Amino acid sequence: MRAESGIEPVHDFSRYLDDRPQDGVFRVHRALYTDPELFELELRYVWERTWVFLGLATQVRDPHDYLTGWIGRQPVLVMRDAGGRIGAFLNSCRHRGARLCASESGNRKYLVCPYHGWAYDSWGRNVALKDHQHGCYAPAFDAEDHDLVPLPRFESYKGLLFGCLDAEVEPLESHLGEARFFVDLVMDQGANGMEFVPGRMKYMYRGNWKLQAENNLDNYHLTSTHPSFMEVVKRRREGESANEQVRSPDFAQRLSRESGMFTFRNGIAAIWVRNPAPQDRPLHRGIEAVRRRVGELRAEWMLNLRNLHVYPSVQLADSTSLIIRTIRPLAVDRTEIGIHCLAPVGEDAESREMRIRQHEDFFGASGLANPDDSVTYEDCQIGSPPGVLDWHQGYDRGMTATLAGANDLAREFGISPVTSLRGPFKIQNETVFHAGHREWLRLMSEGASRERRR
Amino acid sequence: MRDDAEAVQAASALLAEEAAAVDERRWDDWLALYLPDCEYWTPCWKDDDELCADPRSELSHVYYRGRAGLEDRVWRIRSGKSPASRPMPRTLHTIANVRVRALGDGRLEVASNWTNHVFSLRTRDTEVFFGRYEHTLAPGDGGLRIARKKIVLLNDLIPTYIDVYQL
Ligand code: FES
Ligand SMILES: [Fe+2]
Repeated sequence: MRAESGIEPVHDFSRYLDDRPQDGVFRVHRALYTDPELFELELRYVWERTWVFLGLATQVRDPHDYLTGWIGRQPVLVMRDAGGRIGAFLNSCRHRGARLCASESGNRKYLVCPYHGWAYDSWGRNVALKDHQHGCYAPAFDAEDHDLVPLPRFESYKGLLFGCLDAEVEPLESHLGEARFFVDLVMDQGANGMEFVPGRMKYMYRGNWKLQAENNLDNYHLTSTHPSFMEVVKRRREGESANEQVRSPDFAQRLSRESGMFTFRNGIAAIWVRNPAPQDRPLHRGIEAVRRRVGELRAEWMLNLRNLHVYPSVQLADSTSLIIRTIRPLAVDRTEIGIHCLAPVGEDAESREMRIRQHEDFFGASGLANPDDSVTYEDCQIGSPPGVLDWHQGYDRGMTATLAGANDLAREFGISPVTSLRGPFKIQNETVFHAGHREWLRLMSEGASRERRR
Repeated sequence: MRDDAEAVQAASALLAEEAAAVDERRWDDWLALYLPDCEYWTPCWKDDDELCADPRSELSHVYYRGRAGLEDRVWRIRSGKSPASRPMPRTLHTIANVRVRALGDGRLEVASNWTNHVFSLRTRDTEVFFGRYEHTLAPGDGGLRIARKKIVLLNDLIPTYIDVYQL
């Protein structure tokens, strides 16, 4: 890449976004999805400069529990030490850079490098440097720190662990900002916190990561991408299918409900739909206790349907069953997705099973809906080569219904979003995507100009 | 079963017929191999080393108590309304190392290894899925039928998606 070889990047990134609110125009250049050079710059300026989700505190519950993950290209390691503190480090040996830990998770008091055997404790301290006494090391070497390198920033909010490779990023809590209302609607569902239901659901699709970023906030595709799921659900309800082990939401009922969206700072955005059937949710079974704990308004909105994207890496979606979806960019046309079933700690067995069956019915590489999304991303990638056509037309629905600032619902919530929209489901707005693309432009431009200053 | 060889032969024939029914998209034939109250289970992996063991408290890729869940899937595949199965990929299952244990009352426990080559007509890519099967076979109308099938998927970082025809 040019900048890495010391030559200044020549990109004026603003030419990839035609953003003219006064003219009612918002267009995204197709290069955002297909240009390998832009992708390399995104890793550095987007993924390696902002907060990236790493996991839940409940995944490293006990001393010496660890999990591994990625921030952009960098493998990282999150560990709970003997005293209960959680730390996050580069998953990279100080000696010659070998990845220390290949497993996704586990429990280890010491991590020993497979190459030359340097060993680290669960707080990242180097506790053994093999054959050190015979090494004829210069004093300069001994004066160096040989511990694992902590992430420049590592913070948590309500049990969600985030890391950042850029020390100058704003604190996580203010980064989440007003969108915390929507995070809380997820993470406060359990009186004792939230946990992942065991079971790994990971898959890759042959498409750019932004295709998943957008889809989470896309109500417009439901009736055209998922008619088979909708009809299977209908067949069960009408007794044409004998499958009674799962009661999944009837999307058709939602088409007549009120819906809307909010965008927030830092590319964070959420959509919502009023739930026509709150009684079909596992949370509903214990909703009285939830109501007493969080109040009427929040309990009602925990049952309503909400998808949140904490740009760029994680989505908290609560529209079919409650999931945390992680996005990992692998290449301009290749993305890895993790789908986690999120549940209250200590949930009763019956609600838990109901949750699991709803999750499997829709989500994951094997659900009855999720695969239909993944293949359409691949069709988008195949159908949008660079060259002839420059601009997508997919960001315009809801343009004249989108308000700057708070609407009455935001005021009811006590939040001040950047934009708000409220109206019939059929608007199926696309202005919610503007937030992510504007954040892309901000991070890319700032990243490039900071690199030039160095 | 008179002897082990006969049991292995009967089980192998049923497994081969099941694979052929899927590969040839003879969905009614495929469903007819299952007892109505069958269990069909593809557990997720819990971590790198351990499979999920309890479908009631842990995730599965697919878990059905009863054939109706499979019937939903067949309906969806045939509906033409699921982009994932349109066009349908070509699949070729190969089953090997069939081992049989008689459980008495005519039931057989069958373990085998499977490989499935999948050619996607959408992307023109070939994928390979592989793992182990555990079948419990029981006498039913017209011969041995599947009372339980557990599918262990060994390569579970999944390219795009899986349905019953990739497993
Ligand atoms: S790379 Fe880790 S000890 Fe050499
Ligand atoms: Fe979808």
